[in-house]
Amino acid sequence: MPALRLIAILQTDCPTCRLIAPYLNILADRKTPVAAISQDGEDATHEFVRQTEIRFPVERDPDFQLSKRFNVVTVPTLYVVDDQDRILRQEAGFDKNALNEVAALFGHPSIADPYDGAPAFKPGCTSRHLEVHTDDPGAAALDLHSRTGQRASVIDLADAEDPVEYCYRTFGDALPVVPPTVERVERMLAAAGCDAGRDPREVIARIPPCFGEATVEKIAANAVMAGCQPAMMRVLIPLTRAVCDERFNAHGVQATTHFAAPLIIVNGPVRQELGFHCRQNVFSNVARANSTLGRALQLILLNLGGARPTGIDMSALGNPGKFSFCIAENEVENPWEPLHVDQGLAPDQSAVSLFAAEAPHGVSEHNARTARGVLKAITYALATVWSYRSCMGSEAVVVLCPEHVRTIHRDGFLKKDVREFLFVNTGIPVRCYRDGEPGEGIAQRNMYKEITIDGEPCYQKFRSPESIKLVVAGGTAGKFSAVLGSWSTGPRGSQMVTYPI
Amino acid sequence: MSMRIVNPLNETAPSAASAAPRLANLQGRTIALLDISKPGGNIFLDRIEQRLRTDHGVASVIREMKPTFAKPAPLGVIEKIRHVDAVIEGLAD
Repeated sequence: MPALRLIAILQTDCPTCRLIAPYLNILADRKTPVAAISQDGEDATHEFVRQTEIRFPVERDPDFQLSKRFNVVTVPTLYVVDDQDRILRQEAGFDKNALNEVAALFGHPSIADPYDGAPAFKPGCTSRHLEVHTDDPGAAALDLHSRTGQRASVIDLADAEDPVEYCYRTFGDALPVVPPTVERVERMLAAAGCDAGRDPREVIARIPPCFGEATVEKIAANAVMAGCQPAMMRVLIPLTRAVCDERFNAHGVQATTHFAAPLIIVNGPVRQELGFHCRQNVFSNVARANSTLGRALQLILLNLGGARPTGIDMSALGNPGKFSFCIAENEVENPWEPLHVDQGLAPDQSAVSLFAAEAPHGVSEHNARTARGVLKAITYALATVWSYRSCMGSEAVVVLCPEHVRTIHRDGFLKKDVREFLFVNTGIPVRCYRDGEPGEGIAQRNMYKEITIDGEPCYQKFRSPESIKLVVAGGTAGKFSAVLGSWSTGPRGSQMVTYPI
Repeated sequence: MSMRIVNPLNETAPSAASAAPRLANLQGRTIALLDISKPGGNIFLDRIEQRLRTDHGVASVIREMKPTFAKPAPLGVIEKIRHVDAVIEGLAD
């Protein structure tokens, strides 16, 4: 094989270039000949190299001669070149699949893990030599990608100060918290591996909308405040990555005027290992693991992300889940594959999923004796998600209680049959659009699909069966299931994310 | 005994940028109107554009749109309106 080299053209203030830098470091560490070309000045380039801890050579391109020779349009662009400077492959922007294929060209295994918190794909910025130039230097670029942050400061409380009152006033929301003493935080850090060499300054993610650094230590301090036991750190680290996954869009979820709050759904063996509860009262005050994990996520979002309920979090009515919103799936009473398997993980893999959810809306159905009867009741709750005439834009989590599951399963329904039934039987009668009053969802009706439900012409409520996420949870007595509506969905809103633990 | 507490708040220094100088008037200026894709935003901004042109003598009006109100404006949109004298953003519906 001819000797190959990898050349990356980068800009110091391009978020995608900052995103890709650690992956290029991995290639450099594996003895891949990587070199970068910076389109910026000496100081900016030096600072970029320092912040992103780049471990490969970076040259500057002050007059864009190199950029023009490569005819680069977007940064970052990666070029795989042979020993005669022929370009064998080029990849613009950030793309995990492409990065793994480039790694393979150099004989390396994958370098981009699908669950490391970074998006699968992110477009880049316009090459500097093609930009419109102004004299305005603008604000300094946010440092969003360095892997090491700062140690947290330590506050000495005066003897006369009540620690609980101090923490309530200074760090919490409206619910008092456990003071994050140095000793308690150290126990959390030990459980996260910091007694075995892990750096407590390691940045796990930056929390939108203010992009506060969620270091292992800051996560630990917020976990203490929430009342978590140290073992919860193994869930909180991937959960913090998941909530900052661009697909989830925490920026929008945290700032919207809508009801949405991140609902955590826990699957796999971690449920037994850490005591997550999945049966009666699953949405409420039943288990320390559920309550404190949900609470810790909210405190992390609040204290590090900065969306306070009196400020950037603009929700008109809010959501009781903003204190804590965490359930586990009842996999024992679930005859089908659980949620994390639907989301592509192995059954014995522990996982957390996040969905930007409204509060649960109950569906009581004690008299139906068939799968069809139970599911029809649920379709009427699904039809009102967001607003009754608004179709195609929403999703929903349907939490099926064990008694309903038994009825549905007895009729031979597979999980995909349940989803398909709910999809094809949830619609809004066309007559509802004829009253002449303006209303939400009416202007978009030319994009809706007309179907027939029980002989009545209707518009189909959801885009696809996959818009309906099925989870089994709750106590074994009582025929009460629930529908949780979504916020704005898809690539333009918030998408469900599932991360392995 | 005094208690020592680990600060759980974000301590990253925010990067500050000063606001652009205010415009004394709009005569001969280039104004960008940014629609964030909320329903009705175009109706509101159509009227603003009309008033800018007829009442305030602007040189030109540039219309740009975010693909979704649920996320920050992509760099491509910001790039297209970076050079104007002022931006009016139509928020909410």
